[in-house]
Order: sequence, then structure tokens, then C-alpha cells
Amino acid sequence: MSEETKQTTRLFNKEHIKLIKESYENWFNTCLRDVDREMEGKYFTHSGIPIKLIYTPADIENVNYLEDQGFSGQPPFLRGVYANMYRGRLFTVRQLAGLGAPEDCNKRVKYLLKHGATGVNILFDLPTIRGYNSDDPEAEGNVGHCGAAVDSIWDIDAYFADIDLGSISTSIVTHLPSTSLIIPGMYFSVAEQRGTPIKQLAGTCQNDFIMETCVGSAPEILPPSVSFRMQCDVVEWICKNVPRWNPISFNGYNLREAGTDAVTEVGIAIANAIQTAEELIKRGMSIDEFAPRMSFFWDLHNDFFEEIAKCRASRKVWYKIVKERFGAKNQRSMLMRYHVQTAGVTLPATEPLNNIARSAIQGLAAVFGGCQSLHIDSYDEAYSAPTEEAALVSLRTQQIIQTETGVVNTVDPLAGSYYLEYLTEEMTERIFDYVKKIEDMGGLVAAVESGWLHREISNYNNEYQKKIETGEMKIVGVNFMRAEDASVTPIEVFEYPETYSRQKAKLDRLRKERNNQKVKESMKILREKCHSNENLYPYCIDAVKNLVTLGEIEEVFREEFGLWSFPLIT
Amino acid sequence: MVMDRKIRVIMAKLGLDIHWRGVYLVSQFLRDAGMEVIYLGNKFPEQIVEAAVEEDADVVGLSTLGGNHLTLGPKVVELLKEKGLENVRVFMGGVIPPKHIPVLKEKGIYEVYGPDTPMEVIINGIRESVQVN
Repeated sequence: MSEETKQTTRLFNKEHIKLIKESYENWFNTCLRDVDREMEGKYFTHSGIPIKLIYTPADIENVNYLEDQGFSGQPPFLRGVYANMYRGRLFTVRQLAGLGAPEDCNKRVKYLLKHGATGVNILFDLPTIRGYNSDDPEAEGNVGHCGAAVDSIWDIDAYFADIDLGSISTSIVTHLPSTSLIIPGMYFSVAEQRGTPIKQLAGTCQNDFIMETCVGSAPEILPPSVSFRMQCDVVEWICKNVPRWNPISFNGYNLREAGTDAVTEVGIAIANAIQTAEELIKRGMSIDEFAPRMSFFWDLHNDFFEEIAKCRASRKVWYKIVKERFGAKNQRSMLMRYHVQTAGVTLPATEPLNNIARSAIQGLAAVFGGCQSLHIDSYDEAYSAPTEEAALVSLRTQQIIQTETGVVNTVDPLAGSYYLEYLTEEMTERIFDYVKKIEDMGGLVAAVESGWLHREISNYNNEYQKKIETGEMKIVGVNFMRAEDASVTPIEVFEYPETYSRQKAKLDRLRKERNNQKVKESMKILREKCHSNENLYPYCIDAVKNLVTLGEIEEVFREEFGLWSFPLIT
Repeated sequence: MVMDRKIRVIMAKLGLDIHWRGVYLVSQFLRDAGMEVIYLGNKFPEQIVEAAVEEDADVVGLSTLGGNHLTLGPKVVELLKEKGLENVRVFMGGVIPPKHIPVLKEKGIYEVYGPDTPMEVIINGIRESVQVN
């Protein structure tokens, strides 16, 4: 669009903007009290964007509607990725399910599906997340807590017993690329054994090297460059073999929970997506072969309008990068599709029922932002993984938003709010700047290796905590309006003390029954391939089919690639 | 016991536990309050106790939210005892179900701080603990 057309196609005409600006000055100087004027410039969004007392068309005077916002399902997709949005398909209600042994989870998955969940989000205990078997000494005390224990392909089979894998969409929350090489492979193999072609399978795995190197903490971490290579192996192999599967979910969520603002959350995820795209292109793929299957994962925090602006802005930023920088031709490549989880970090232990309100408001913001799927946190977040009762309240909250509030009936219903549009423009710019900053450091892998991202997180947390300690940031019931008898409400937590012995017995049986010659062979091949440029996926699939355990495969990785020290010191 | 030197604190994430936000923040706030803090990252009880011996620690702070508090927390207390370090106070923090707190205290954990605990409470709790003997 030429500069001239741009002038004539602006949303607001120039003359009118001039009048608005004059009237604004007049209003500001005559209608407000001195104290109001003094406070102007002292309000900020969570991410530090200054907030004015009032917004008018003058704050978005440069907007060219068709170019900058347009329609849903059309570039730049600011208003939504699909033309008919929630009228076409409601966001997927995807509540987390995972506790104890796979057999316990199977019950929870069936419970959620029976109550109307349309997708399943499966979680693992910490030994599984970090790649240890349940009977590894390092796993002591963690087996079956916070998620399910998965040691071998048998466990995935049990997790999904009597469930038709061809008819559900499953999000497999493997944090690390290394476990994403293994656990989804178990899922694919189970489907195959049951006669469901893997081409039919729908779902997502998380697969993010930031989870391994920055967000989580662990005694044993693979080096960032290795973790990143595995991340790309997963994307490459799955795109070629399981076409309906999202092989990566760039995880802004957990980074945000670890401690960042909204700009950093999106900036880091997009910088990761850029480096992944570059690597896959280097491996000979075209952007349109993998970008349609890339997905993102956002944390919807407390700052209502900023969060909605973040969602809208991030779609536009991604569109521009995929289209202008990588030259994508397929429109699907340009769509930023994302899952949302409400912000666990905002849910205190004090007066936990208040968290139902917090989560509902965050969930509503997610829907105003145009998410594709949603998990609403449960009120007992600060106590344990959700009880059945708490999980049902979360599920019901989603259903209330979908069916009782009417917000799903029209696309992007808050569009046109001067404030929201101003914030959306501002977020867009700030995300681009942040991505550039990382690229100037040589990309995200280099930024992680240097410890820069760890410092960003730790500085942010320090400031955030100081605001809470001083009361500058108010948390209702905790440091503000605290009840005199404020106490911790007893909440029954789920416990599965028998998980360890059940998993141990299963592992003993597996080691006896499997063909140990085949086990040795597939591990030997995998060990060799670690030092080649080949994609590791097929070798991991062979291993899991031969009943090699998760912990055994991970041990090969740890031995062959070595470990990395987390760059944090007090 | 009146401290004539800075209080020395060993801080660690317990075992395979995840998320360093809380433990790292507490470490920084303790340091800013004038204590000598050594943050170990993720470690198992044996390594934590080894560090406590080496660093002549007054206090050990353990952070966990993933469920290993009942097994690995008391193990640190036991190992300290074996080394003759029963005066070292062991504190825990993180996501710990309230009904487990008395169990932990019975097994020698000095204090447990849950979510929402103001930093001041933790700082004062540690200061007071090393003065009681």
C-alpha cells in the first residue's frame, strides 16, 4: 500500500483526530483534579506499558483497519485464526489429567470425557518428566505425584485402555525434547498395535528446550544445543509421519510461571520458533511443511486487557514473520494457534475458593483473546494437583463461559476498544523489539547458553516479589484485605502411595518378559546415532517397541551427550 | 547461641523437584537480609548434607513442590544427625499439604513455610531458630 493510500484509508480521518486531540487537551486541563493530572504517567500494565486515564481514537490514529486488523481468518489474523471462530468450533475444553499410576489416570480421563471434555491433556510425574524410571533411586518420593508415572509402552497402553485413540485429541505434556522423542512414540506405537493408523492421530506434545534449560531445574540437564537438536528432530519426524499431530508447543506458559512478563513470554517463544524454523529449513524442509503444525502455549495472567492484547498481537507478529521473513505460501503456516492455561502462579493458598473467581476471569480473557484450547486452573493449585471436585469446577467454569455468557457468539468482541487496540499495537511493537534483541545475541540457544535468560527471569522475580512484600502489588486476602482469621483451608489431596510398588512390579515383569537381546541392540544403535546427524526419532520408536524403558533411553542420552550446569548463582 | 558471624544457609531444590522461582527468591532475600547463602540447585539428601558439613552451615533450606517432602526431607535431618550436626536447623518450603506439616515437624524439620509466606516471616524465623539452642 502506498503512503498516499495509507493516508486515505486510515480508520479515522485526520481532521477529526486533530479535533479530538484539542478536545482532549481541554478536557485534561479543565475537567480533572490536580491529583488526577499528577497521577497521569504513574499507572502501568503488568509488563510496564504506561496506562493513560482515557483512550480515544487519537491513540490509534495510524490504524489502517484492513491492513492492521482486518477480518478473522484473514491476514494479519489479529482478530482470530479462523473466519467463523467459535461459531465454527468452540475452543477445546482441555483439562489436565494425571496422577498416580496410568490405571488411575485412565479413570480420570474417562471421567473428563464423560463430562464433556473434548480433548485430553496428560501429565507426568517428575521422574517421567525428567526421564527416570519409577524404580530409579533418584525417583524416590516423586513417583505418581503431580502426574502419572510412565516407564514403558505398557503404561501408555494402560493410560488409554478402552479409549479410541483415533477419535480423541491428546495433548501429551512432555516438557523436554528428549522425552518428546520417547513418550509420543509410545503413544503412536500403541495406536499402531491397536490398528489405528498414526496418520489419523490428533494431538500435541510440548517439546521445548527452554523447559529443560531455563524453566525447570534438575540435577541432570542436557546441554542447550543438544536439547534444541532433539526438539528439531521431533518436529521434523512427526511432521513427516503424523500429519495431524502438533509436534511442538512453544511454551510461553511455563516461562511466564517461572517469572517473566507478557512481552518476554511471547518474545522468547517466537524467538524459539524462529530458530527452529531456520534449523528445519537447513535440514531441507520448506516452511510450509512444518509451520502449519507449530503451536504455542500462553499463560493468561491477571492483567485482563494486556493479556487479551498479548494474544491478538502475537498472532500478528507470527503472521508477519512466517509470511515476510520465511516466505510461507500456505495460509495455515501463518496461523498462530495456541493453547491457554490460566496462571497458576496467581493462585494463593490463602482462601483458596477465591481462586475460582481469579481463574474464571483469566479464562474469560483467554476466550476474548481467541484461544484454540483452554485449561482453567483449579482452586486447589497451591495445594496439590487438582482433586476431582476442583477439576470439575474448572471444567464447569469453561462450560459456563461457552454456553451462558454469550461471549462466543461474535468474533473478537472487544475489538474497537481504544484501550485494547492501543495495547495491541504497543504489544506488537514490544514483542518485535524483544525478538530482535535475542537475535542480536545470536539466537535463543546462544542466549540460554550465556545465562542471559536465567538472569532475566531472576531479576523479574526479584522485582515482582518486592512489590508483593511492600504491598505495591495487592493480592486480595493475602496482603490486602486479609481476614483476621485468614488461615489455610484444609484440602484433601490425592495420594497414590501404592504407585511406586505397582510400577516397580510392572518394571520387574517387563524386564523378565522382554527380549533382552533386542533391547541391547536397539540401545546400541541409538547410542551410535547420537553421534550422527540423523534424526533420532525412528531409533527411539524402535527402542520403545522393543520394550526399552524411558529411563534406559534417557540414560543413553545422558551418557552420550553429557550434562550442562545450570548457570545460576546467588 | 549468639551469632558472632553471618548466619550460613544452604539452600537446595530437593531431588528431582522442579521450578526454581521460590527457592531462588528466598535465597536472594536471605542474602539481602545479611545471611551467607549458598544455593546448590537440585541436589539429593547426601549431597545437601555434604555441603552443609563443608560450608559449616547453620541452616538448611529445602524447597519442594512435587511430593517428595515426606521421604527426602526427613532424610536430610537423619543424615545431619549421623554427622553430629543436630544443631543445623532444617527448614522446608513449597507446596506441602497442611496435614503433612506436623508429620514433618515430628521428624525433625524445624519449620515449614507454605505459599504466601511473607519473606519477613522466613527471615525472622531463621534468625530466631539459630539463637535458640
